[in-house]
Amino acid sequence: MHCNACVTLTESELSEHPQVTSAKSNLGTRTVKICGDFGDKSFDEVAKELSGLLSQHTLSAESEKKAVNWSDFKIAVPIALGFIFVFVLLQKLGIVNLVSASKVTYGTAFVVGIIASLSTCMAVVGGLLLSMSATFVHGDPSTSLGASKFKPQILFHLGRIVAFFILGGVIGALGSAFALGSTGTFVLSLLVGLVMLVLGINLLDIFHFTKRLMPAMPKFISKRALSVSKMNHTRPTEPRQSFGRALTPALVGVATFFLPCGFTQSMQLYTLTTGSFWGGALTMLAFALGTLPVLAILSFSSFSVVGSPKAGVFFKTAGLIVILFALFNIINSLVVIGLIPPVFSF
Amino acid sequence: MKGTIISSIVAGLLIVGALYYSRANPPGVTDNANNVKIENGTQIVEIRAKGGYTPRKSVAKAGLPTIIRFETSGTFDCSAFVSIPSLNVSQALALSGNTDINAGTPAVGTLQGTCGMGMYPFEIDFEG
Repeated sequence: MHCNACVTLTESELSEHPQVTSAKSNLGTRTVKICGDFGDKSFDEVAKELSGLLSQHTLSAESEKKAVNWSDFKIAVPIALGFIFVFVLLQKLGIVNLVSASKVTYGTAFVVGIIASLSTCMAVVGGLLLSMSATFVHGDPSTSLGASKFKPQILFHLGRIVAFFILGGVIGALGSAFALGSTGTFVLSLLVGLVMLVLGINLLDIFHFTKRLMPAMPKFISKRALSVSKMNHTRPTEPRQSFGRALTPALVGVATFFLPCGFTQSMQLYTLTTGSFWGGALTMLAFALGTLPVLAILSFSSFSVVGSPKAGVFFKTAGLIVILFALFNIINSLVVIGLIPPVFSF
Repeated sequence: MKGTIISSIVAGLLIVGALYYSRANPPGVTDNANNVKIENGTQIVEIRAKGGYTPRKSVAKAGLPTIIRFETSGTFDCSAFVSIPSLNVSQALALSGNTDINAGTPAVGTLQGTCGMGMYPFEIDFEG
């Protein structure tokens, strides 16, 4: 490939193939990244077949080979284990008992928020956030440089805070919570667990077959999981698409209102009793602001490592933590509906 | 190199230890607290809900109409949401105060429940 015309040409020619879902050419590295479901054909077979479509270029599968940096794990594994240990220790020390108020003020709601962000809720909201933000940066480090690099993260936090304010107000005004039933909660937490598991495995960067493994799972899950990694690839030529992509992190932020977290649900129940829009909105806002510091540290940690030689260690550590949190969530969701007996106890 | 191996081993031991102590049913922890009483022919099992459930394991009589009474005081964590799959119970407790859950007339066996997210378990042994 020599010029930008080649980029457009190869992309459009490759997209014509029925099994190709997306093709993205890169002039700098002279590679084309092709995503699609090719069944069990080998790379060489796929490359040969797709080369037939190209009028002026040929494809080779060589660049697919990528070295796995196993030595990163020597540092990543102890850090991940240490992190989980501190997490378990915090729960064992009874951090959730620090709230002793029986009357809820905005100050209490803020403190409950801080404690919630350090409790097992971190395994849900924090794990999801960590897997997302690490995946942004990991997926394409080039877009993480420059001023717009914080955009998806800021949109996530903004979406979360605004949603808590508005939905809190709505609950307060209506006097009825839109809590999900036990089946809804189960489906949601299982879904979140599976998405985190896929993202976590991808972050480890060792299984190049994860993408081929994904179609084995319900398609809509794998599609969601993969689209997360494309969230911040904004292309100015496609305004509608880039708007939709920019919106995704904000929508995930909004969705955290409904994620299974005891503290969030308690605050929602309390909000019911306020009986007014402003009372409810401000209580939930104070709670969301309380959770912000810890969540912000989690989401922005990904940027501190961009381009540094330690980036591989960071992504593997994040991947391991996300995988452990994902398993924790999946096991717990099975416990709640009674499929398996209790496994953990904090 | 040597340092990383040592730190891996230490971290591994810490994890195993932490998991050991956070197992659902540690051996020898049978709280024989006086939390079961009978009033007017109804058996009442009292369980405190805050940052988990105490006692974690209660022993009660089978074959009596039974109520499980959850006591809360400023409980904002997960334990404010009780889930008992075998009774089809999935319920929010009062922020502070008592909440009764009717357990019917249990047969001999163990009733298992957890909080709404699954990490705080409790059980009641109904003995004949």
